[in-house]
Amino acid sequence: MPKLPTKSFDRSLWVFHVNTGSCNGCDIEILAALTPRYDVERFGIKLVGSPRHADALLVTGPVTRDMEDKVKRFYEQMADPKVVIVIGSCGISGGVFHESYNLVGPVDKVIPVDVYVPGCPPRPEAIIDGVVKAWMKLERLRREKK
Amino acid sequence: MNLDFLTPYGFWNPILWLLVIFVALLVAYLIWLRGNSRYKKGTEQTKPFLSGYAPESKEAMMVSASNIYWGFTSTLKGYYNFLRKMHTGDIRDYLGWYVGIVAIMLILYILWGGA
Repeated sequence: MPKLPTKSFDRSLWVFHVNTGSCNGCDIEILAALTPRYDVERFGIKLVGSPRHADALLVTGPVTRDMEDKVKRFYEQMADPKVVIVIGSCGISGGVFHESYNLVGPVDKVIPVDVYVPGCPPRPEAIIDGVVKAWMKLERLRREKK
Repeated sequence: MNLDFLTPYGFWNPILWLLVIFVALLVAYLIWLRGNSRYKKGTEQTKPFLSGYAPESKEAMMVSASNIYWGFTSTLKGYYNFLRKMHTGDIRDYLGWYVGIVAIMLILYILWGGA
């Protein structure tokens, strides 16, 4: 069991969500994490509309050929330090689409990934857990850079 | 020198306004200072975000002033295409049009102009 943070985080976490070929199941669970039942925005976790504003990249689905250059660009447009979270089995291994002719492969074949959240789709609790782990890594990276 | 003016519309003091502008600029500068300084210049991080698409040249991205008339020119496309064919850029064609129109007008004048 990883050590939980004993103090509050330094900064809120701005997240850019990208669907690289998901069936939308994982995307719906991400939305569920934002709804009043879980309401992650109260912890400062916020979805933003541009990777240039984001600390974390949240990726759902395997990477299709059409999305390969785009997901690379999303990653390159984010300022350092940054973290990448993959939500769902398809982004981790290709899932049920792993033999599809139209896939480049799982997300870590295209960009470096920090946190994997397995599931088809993962529950919002699992997504929040993965995001918090990524957040802890980001804070650590920030402190190392100082 | 008294710079206070009490007009029918209210109070006006240019020094006070300069002070307000200075404070606003200072606040803007302080906000700018808090921005992320870790951006790497000359990389994708400083390029505009276009939903993952590669940015085109500035000329291709900007809307030209002629686009104001897009609806107008699009609606009258048939008419403009016809006119464009007439504008060959050859002076002999324009002189031909000139001579032809003058000839038509002369004929019309000879037929009905004197009446």
